[in-house]
Amino acid sequence: VLTGWHGEAGLAPLEDDLERAAHDGAADWAMRMQPPPPSSAHRVQGQATAAKTTHAAAVNSWPRNGRCDRHQTTRGITNPACSRQAFGKSFFGRSNWQSPSGRLQLLSATERGLVPAARCALAVSMGKAVRSGARRLGRGNGSSLPGAVALAIDPSALAELAAQIPHGSVLVTGSNGKGTTCRMLAEVMRAAGLHPVLNHEGSNQLPGLTATLVARSRLTGRLPADERAIGLFEVDEGSLPAILPQVARPRAVVITNIFRDQVDRYLEPDFVTRMLERVLRKLPAETTLVLNADDPRLAYLAAELKNPRLYFGIADTAHSRAGPDRSSDSPRCPRCGGELSYQCVFYAQLGHWRCGGCGLSRPAPQVEAAKVELLGAVSSRLQVTSPAGEMVLGVPFPGLYNAYNALGAVATAIGCQLPDAACPAIEQCTPGSYRMERVAVAEHDVYLVLAKNANGFTEVIRSLLADGQPKRMMLGLNDCAGKQPDTSWIWDADFHALRGLVPVAVVSGNRSADLAVRLKYAVGSPGAGAATELTVEPDPVRAFHLALETTPAGEPLWVVSTSIVLRQLRRWLRRQGYAGQPWREQPGAAL
Amino acid sequence: MTSKRITLGHLYPDLMSTYGDRGNVETIVHRCGWRGIAADVIELGLGDRIRADEMDLIVIGSGGEAQQAVIAYDLAMIKGPGIREAVQQGAAALAVGTGYELFGHFCQPGDGLELPGAGLFDAWTVRRHSALGGHYETPTEARADRAIGELLVRWGDALLAGFENHSGGTYLGPTAQPLGEVICGYGNCGDGREGVRLGNAVGTNLRGPCLPKNPLLADFLIRAALARRHGAADLLPLSDELEQAAHQAAVRRARRPVRGLASRASIVLDRSVRRPKWATAPRRRSVRLRDGQGQRPDGLAANGARAKGHPVVPEGNAER
Repeated sequence: VLTGWHGEAGLAPLEDDLERAAHDGAADWAMRMQPPPPSSAHRVQGQATAAKTTHAAAVNSWPRNGRCDRHQTTRGITNPACSRQAFGKSFFGRSNWQSPSGRLQLLSATERGLVPAARCALAVSMGKAVRSGARRLGRGNGSSLPGAVALAIDPSALAELAAQIPHGSVLVTGSNGKGTTCRMLAEVMRAAGLHPVLNHEGSNQLPGLTATLVARSRLTGRLPADERAIGLFEVDEGSLPAILPQVARPRAVVITNIFRDQVDRYLEPDFVTRMLERVLRKLPAETTLVLNADDPRLAYLAAELKNPRLYFGIADTAHSRAGPDRSSDSPRCPRCGGELSYQCVFYAQLGHWRCGGCGLSRPAPQVEAAKVELLGAVSSRLQVTSPAGEMVLGVPFPGLYNAYNALGAVATAIGCQLPDAACPAIEQCTPGSYRMERVAVAEHDVYLVLAKNANGFTEVIRSLLADGQPKRMMLGLNDCAGKQPDTSWIWDADFHALRGLVPVAVVSGNRSADLAVRLKYAVGSPGAGAATELTVEPDPVRAFHLALETTPAGEPLWVVSTSIVLRQLRRWLRRQGYAGQPWREQPGAAL
Repeated sequence: MTSKRITLGHLYPDLMSTYGDRGNVETIVHRCGWRGIAADVIELGLGDRIRADEMDLIVIGSGGEAQQAVIAYDLAMIKGPGIREAVQQGAAALAVGTGYELFGHFCQPGDGLELPGAGLFDAWTVRRHSALGGHYETPTEARADRAIGELLVRWGDALLAGFENHSGGTYLGPTAQPLGEVICGYGNCGDGREGVRLGNAVGTNLRGPCLPKNPLLADFLIRAALARRHGAADLLPLSDELEQAAHQAAVRRARRPVRGLASRASIVLDRSVRRPKWATAPRRRSVRLRDGQGQRPDGLAANGARAKGHPVVPEGNAER
């Protein structure tokens, strides 16, 4: 059954909640933030305006701690409304968010005054102009610059736009798999009759997310009226503290896993865990948390919160291993800090864990894969038990990591009360850019596979070579012009699996020298099984030619790499007419 | 037939390997293997003692701050005496990153209790704030108090190149000899010195896999370990083209100034990346620890900038 978050069903309970909270006396903020009594104009306009007012209340109800976060600047956290307030005061004389009486209110555009509305409209229109300019000049697809421009003009542009989505938003974050989970969830939502608003893959930070909504918005700063729109945002885990305050009342926050990823940017995984925990503590109480039960870093994240929790996990131990991978950084018990013992491990630190010290163990997941069948290097089939009953899911992607993505999508769909019948739509999911993306070049099938950290590389290589057939590969490693210069994680990726199965590998990217040394130590020297012959060519296109030359006609070539090598290669493939525009192939993404 | 054999003790391989530190052990094992030297790796976890006469080479990697706190007492009380004795007998040692910090007298992690060290090096480490203590809300803030970047060190006649990523300043006592001199980067505590050297023991901030890219350092350790076990040792030369290429690339990266339209554009777009001011890109990377020069060994900020309420620029408005 579909119940709209802010539809007619959602409106009355929301106000009830506010009343109850006030009676409790614990949350006087709720009363303060209630929208003003509706004016006659509101009453005449009826339902539509009421819904709008609710959104306004939703925007305002972000802080739960009895004070308003808009007034308190926590170090470094940009509360958009805060900076906007400071800005508004200096430039426009009066705060945009305060009525003359000093009460915090978020009013409709006309009540708030024309200046902020115009400001948002200006931000949106400038963003749109930048976007079309960037696309015409062929400098990228305008996936983040328009958002940066819009935010520079109106720091609360995202909050304002996101609040206009009638069914609220779902945020998906985590180290690996958030993009694929989003795509699967988008299919489910579409099958359920909703219209998901997705951000582009990779544009998962504040500017990118804003750019998505700017692209969708009209020049007036309003999103086109669509009763069935629902936000579905992939959020970079480091950007969650910045984005969450802007997205009013998310329906669900999904965290797929926390791995070590870009240590020079996010620091160690424990830091990311604690950061997410702090952010989650500020969530509204009705937001559902969808968490991976098999990840000991996630299972008891902010355990004291009363938010509904939905866990997903794998029960079938057929594809498990004995111990955690070397890239998992051995997480400790979330309660007592003791050492964890594993009954089985699926990959990295995901598995059936238990603390030897205090006995804390993996929570029983509500959404669980009772049986996992891995069907070669292309797909898998899952038997899922959920509160709604059993279902069989065809996952069009290989490997256990995609099984987790599918489970996360199903759990979120259940958390959002989407009908179960929509879940098998996951089967129609198409791969995102570089996620096992197939491009036909001459007589070869070329698969572009993204792997951006140690677990990614390990799992991708493991699932590709699971069938034991020799494969031709091109491997790439790059940093983004000094932005992510630490590539030490390659020493924790399991390249030993290549031995004997990949006779020739071309190594590419601006850090190909590092990767070549790594491969030399892993598989480049004689040992058990044939050594891999390495060719180093930093230029991706030339390396691609080299790789194609050594691949026998008719055989597929697998390009496994970090993103920039793949992007450069794909740009070349597009110019040669082998592949289309990546952003045109994203279903549901704003065009 | 392998006649020569060395024993390598790898300390806390599961806990102290956040930065790809297994690469160092793998490098030593392979470089020994290619020369016909057998290298036995003994993994030493919590509670395991070190028998000094057994060890030829001790390696500890770099873990997170939580892991540092987990191992500190074990390292100081149970393994410390064995490590000190082995190094005194001429064994080689490599301590990297947070492991290096704990090989000194103590490590003050910023918030909370001071952690005891193994006491091998006459050095100590002071951190401004713990990354896990809740002081930093976002990775951007935490990065502002860290030295993150390429590190280039003059080591005798040679260069060592690698990556540093640490928030602690390591201060050398009067008897400690630095490993080398910083050419680009931050090093121990911003005083131009990097690492520490005691006999055949080396401590360094070159995080993660520093040996693959610096085969000279790897061979130095192997030679020292061999000399301890078998007397004088000659190492066969290896073909190191790939290693040398990676080393040269790392040296070029460290010396490369941050310039050019692409990097400028990315600075404008991605404010979360802290860079030297691009208008005046220096040839040497700027020092990224705030008030680094003002730090004293006792951990108090001389100018107290943070303590008095450092004017904090909100993340989104950094450029305004």
